[in-house]
Amino acid sequence: MVRALGWLTAVGLLVGIVMAFGVAPREVTQGNVQRIMYVHVPLILASYVAFGVLALASIVYLVRRDAAADRVAHASGEVGVMFVGLGIATGSIWGKPTWGTWWTWDARLTSVAILFVMYLGYLLLRGSIDDPERAARYSAVLGIVAALDIPLVHFSVYWWRTLHQPPSLMKPGGFTGSTSILWPLVVNLLAFMLLYAYFVARRVRVLRAEAEAAA
Amino acid sequence: MTADNWGFVAAAYGLTAIVLLIYWRRLAKQERELEALNRSNAERSREPSSSGLPRPEPSSPTPLQRPGAPRP
Amino acid sequence: MSWARRALAVAWKDLAVERRSKETLNALVFFSLLLLFVFQFTLGGDRERLAAVLPGVLWLGFVLSALLALGRTFLVERENDCWEGLLLAPGDKSAIYLGKLVGNLALMLLVETLVLALFVVFFDIDLGRAMPGLLVVMLLGTLGLAAVGTLFAAMTANVRARELLFPVLLLPVQVPVLLATVKATEGLLLGEPLAAVAHWVKLLVAADTVYVIVSLLTFDVVLEG
Repeated sequence: MVRALGWLTAVGLLVGIVMAFGVAPREVTQGNVQRIMYVHVPLILASYVAFGVLALASIVYLVRRDAAADRVAHASGEVGVMFVGLGIATGSIWGKPTWGTWWTWDARLTSVAILFVMYLGYLLLRGSIDDPERAARYSAVLGIVAALDIPLVHFSVYWWRTLHQPPSLMKPGGFTGSTSILWPLVVNLLAFMLLYAYFVARRVRVLRAEAEAAA
Repeated sequence: MTADNWGFVAAAYGLTAIVLLIYWRRLAKQERELEALNRSNAERSREPSSSGLPRPEPSSPTPLQRPGAPRP
Repeated sequence: MSWARRALAVAWKDLAVERRSKETLNALVFFSLLLLFVFQFTLGGDRERLAAVLPGVLWLGFVLSALLALGRTFLVERENDCWEGLLLAPGDKSAIYLGKLVGNLALMLLVETLVLALFVVFFDIDLGRAMPGLLVVMLLGTLGLAAVGTLFAAMTANVRARELLFPVLLLPVQVPVLLATVKATEGLLLGEPLAAVAHWVKLLVAADTVYVIVSLLTFDVVLEG
């Protein structure tokens, strides 16, 4: 089952990268460096999914005390932090030639940076607690606090400043870019979602095996 | 015509590929080691002990037993 | 013993312990004086620059003091082997949370008032009309910090690298509070009325509500063991 997911993911990523370079056009204002978007955006969005799943799994764990939920939260946190870290890095690499700077404290970047540090803290908390049951409990509490904090972070930072490109995918009027940009983006988005699921599935399997070995 | 900055494109895609590959290989390595560990544990529990006395539980922490593993 | 009475008992005990030993209070006062001197050395000469950075500097001082105070919330229990006592306490453990919160709030507000007074005196700042609004912002901001800080202090009380993990966990989560308080203070110190920074105040109220409710609900889970 997981192997099938793995193969599907590989196919998805392959098609995605072919489309990013073959189908997607050379962007008019930015040039070919804009193609970084086809990994940057999927990474960020997939990390949002990861953190959402983490929040849900945390709630499920606190209610049912099911270790499987804890494993999903743990794995989701790991993959989420990795994806958002890569997202920030690729965004920075994209920003240097296009904006002229590696970093800027606009609303979007600042929020994502805070997200990264918050969930990195989540992983650090897990790493600091030896007792597995307590680690699961405390991480679940932190996961819930972090999730509830996200809208507060979003608004506070947004009110503080705005500079980033207006979100073209999530705008109410719909996507205004051409379809030859849209399809490579959608395909890569799906591919990275599959990659997230695949990584989480394998990581959960490892965690379960670790638990069995320790028992 | 704007510069293409293929170097930056390569850096972004390359970094992503490297990190994801490293994580993937780490997963594979963990799976292999745990499989071996669990298999040897299972074999040991199936073998009858030579002296006829009950065998003691494996108590020493193995290299793979990390403190953070939750109970099943 | 009723829930509220138990909460008050915890708060009263903490404040009584603090009043006798004055350990945390002394540390915080000394630390604040240190901050004052450092800021004077770096910014004291240029009044315009000082006015521009004052809100940030003030809240930086408040936050650093808060980290010190909050980090020590469960120190007494930890050092005197009373942690198990907390775990075994009958009934709703959230009463303990509320008591700790009230104690922390009182201590933090006391130190903040002191720091503010020192700043006013040593940097010759005219608070004037800003004062009532400033008090509101200080109260709301401190509540936000203390609400999550008390919960996280309990969570990190018995883990490795406690002193490092506590601020690492608390500060990113507190960004909304930090932003809102600094921007609101900035506006108020520029002479704007409280209504002009209303959106920041509303954010603080929303944040405080979320933090206190979630902490009350999850504190029992943290003190399970």
